[in-house]
This record gives sequence, C-alpha cells and structure tokens, in this order.
Amino acid sequence: MTTYSVNFWPALEVARLTSERSPSLAESTSERLMESYVDGEAEAFELLYRRVSPNLMGYLLRLTRNRERAEDLLQITFSKVHRARSSYLRGAPVLPWILAIARRSFLDERRSANVRTEDLSPDGSLPEQQHEERPLPAEVSDALEIALDRLPDTYREAIVLTKITGLSVAEAAQVLGATETAVKLRVHRGYNQLRKELEQYSRTP
Amino acid sequence: MTLPKSDPLADLPWPKPEAPREEVSAAIRSACTKNLCPMKGMSVGTRLSLCLALSSFVAVVGYWFGVRHHRSELGLRTGVYGALGWAIVQAAVLFVGFTPARGRASRSLRLALAIAVPVLFLGYLTYSAWSYVPFTQFSHGARADHAWSCGLVALTFGAVVSGGVLLAWRGTDPLTPRLSGALAGLIGGIGGALAVGIGCPSHEAWHLWISHGVIVLALAVMGFGAGRRLLAP
Repeated sequence: MTTYSVNFWPALEVARLTSERSPSLAESTSERLMESYVDGEAEAFELLYRRVSPNLMGYLLRLTRNRERAEDLLQITFSKVHRARSSYLRGAPVLPWILAIARRSFLDERRSANVRTEDLSPDGSLPEQQHEERPLPAEVSDALEIALDRLPDTYREAIVLTKITGLSVAEAAQVLGATETAVKLRVHRGYNQLRKELEQYSRTP
Repeated sequence: MTLPKSDPLADLPWPKPEAPREEVSAAIRSACTKNLCPMKGMSVGTRLSLCLALSSFVAVVGYWFGVRHHRSELGLRTGVYGALGWAIVQAAVLFVGFTPARGRASRSLRLALAIAVPVLFLGYLTYSAWSYVPFTQFSHGARADHAWSCGLVALTFGAVVSGGVLLAWRGTDPLTPRLSGALAGLIGGIGGALAVGIGCPSHEAWHLWISHGVIVLALAVMGFGAGRRLLAP
C-alpha cells in the first residue's frame, strides 16, 4: 500500500503540472509554439505540427498533385525546419516561413526532376504520355478540385494560399516572393478561369 | 490586407486542409523531437550589433591605414564623418531589410532600398570628389595602379563585412534570400568603400566611382548570388 502511494503521488503531480502547462501552450500562438520548440520543448512541436501540418499538406498536395510526393516534401520541409530552428527569428510569422521553406523544397525537387534521365521504350523512343480520363464530377466540390487542377500553376498557388491555407494577401505575397498587387491579380484571374470552368460544369447535363 | 468582401466564389465548397497519413506524421514527430535540445540562436539585436561592429572594425582599420600613411587631418576627418553618416544608413538598411517586426518589410520596399541606396552612395561619392581628370588620363600610369590597389582593398574590406552579414543572418530568410543577399552585399560594399575612403588620399572623381563605388554594386551582385545558398534554410 505504501509503495503504491509513493509511486502514485509523483504521477499525479506530473499530471497536474502537465495539465497546468498544456492549456497555456495549447492556447499559444504558432510563433510562441515555435519559440518553445527552439527552446527544446517537444510538446510545443507536437502542437505546432498539429496546427500547421494540415495547411502545409493541403498546399503541397495542390502543388504536386500527388499524395506521395506531397508527403515526401512534408517530411523534407519539417526536417529543414528542424535543422534551421536556431535561425528562426523570434516573433516572425511562422506559417509563411514554413510555407516558403516548403515551396523552396518543391521548386528544388522539380528542378532536379527536370534533369532526371527519361526511361526510353525498347525501340529507343520516348514513351507516350498517358492522359488520364477523368469521369464527370458528381459534386460541386469534385468539380472545384478538377477546375483547380486545370488552373495555371501561378493562379492555383495564389488561390490555394489565400482561400484554402487562409493566408492574407500580404503573407501569400511573402511566400510567393511577389508583390501584393501581383497576388491579387493572380487570384482575380484564377477566379475568372475557375468561374468559366464551373459554368461549363453546371451546363453539363 | 485581405481579399475584397464581395468575393464572387466565397460560397464554393473549398477543399478543407488535409492531414498527412499517421505513419508520415509519426516519422516526422520522431525525427523532429528525438534528442531535442534548446538551440541558442543569436537574437536579432546581437545579429544587428555584430554586423555594425564588423563595419566599424574595417572603418578603424581604414583610419589606422590613413594615419600610418600620414593622410591630412582634414581628409581623415572628412572620411570619418562620411563613415559615421553612412553607418546610420547601413543600420537602417539592416533594420528594415533583415529584422522581423511583424515579418520583414515588404519585398517592394526592400527592392526600392536595394536600388536607391547605391544610387545615393554614388551621388555622395560624386559630391565628395574634389577634382576631375579625363578617363584617358585616369586609365593609365600611377592613377590606374592606385585605382587597382584601392579597389582590391575596398573589395576585401567589403567582402569581410558582407560575409559577416550573410553568416550572421544565415538560414533566416526562406522567402526572399536573393534580395536579402543583395542587401547584405550592399551593406558590406558601403562599409568597405567607406573604410578605404578614410585611408585613401585621392579625391579624383573617376577613382571614387570605380575604386570605391563600383565595389558596392559588385558586392550587391555577389550577395544576390550567394543569398540563395546562405540565407535560405
């Protein structure tokens, strides 16, 4: 009985301390979480990861249009964040910082893929590219996904950052390395193109 | 700044953010929290001070060089006042270009700085020139030799300061590393040119433009090239 109480009370104390600390961390801003992570708190990383990873994954999915590549890039991005955490400038907005690292990683990966050697077919020619036939979408959300996929990269990225990831125009401009006016213009043109695509969808019987 | 309220596509069922697969998340968590220790990165203030200290150091070396070579007191004093005035500009460029008050200053403001500051500096050099000889005379003989040696020393001083700025802010800018690199080159170039300006007895216009001024542009271009490698995480 005595042994049980000796082991039990420290455990309760740990639970009390954790419950005291967790709400404050859980309510912290992403910037505060990043600072705690830099200071060596694993719990802060957990919370930051939970908060940031869905937005980051959504962004990477729409950049790569491939789940496996997006997940690879997610791992690369977080490993870069981990390595560069000492150079994080305290107080700087975290999400645009991490998104910019993700975007750089994607561009680097695409650049290296461009110089990758192609596999030739047995007769020595380049294999025919397979065009995927998509069925007509049943839901508006599916139609929207397809319409987003058909947008030029620059328009899609601007729309994904502002509409899906939830960044402000200024933050999206920082991530894209463009001016705010340019981002607004890309969003506007992307909207026009999306509208045309969706009108075609609504006319389809 | 946000998008206009009358967003025509606001009611669309935009895709929700998606979580990665659990095994991917577990791998990331494990990699990023394993043996996690506090990282003592330099504070913004320390980084700023380090850059300004480096710039002051090369200015002191330039002053020492001027005293050693018996440069006139008036020339030394003019050089030091110029260096002090431009130190304020360097500090302002560092503050605006590198520190995150609420994120860094906008890209367009920093780009404007990267263009305006060298133009102003070349204007300052033109203003401080006391004499003018035609380029054909400048490009031969002792004047050309002096221009070469002065330019090389300015380039070395500038490279020391620029390198220090790039290392002090290493890995801090994933957003616009090339632009930040150009600003680092600019700060270093001005530091180097001013340090040489304190010790150099020449006040001839071509000499100042080429040996002191072009170095600033050259280092800004080099910084632009190195920024991607050094400033991006």
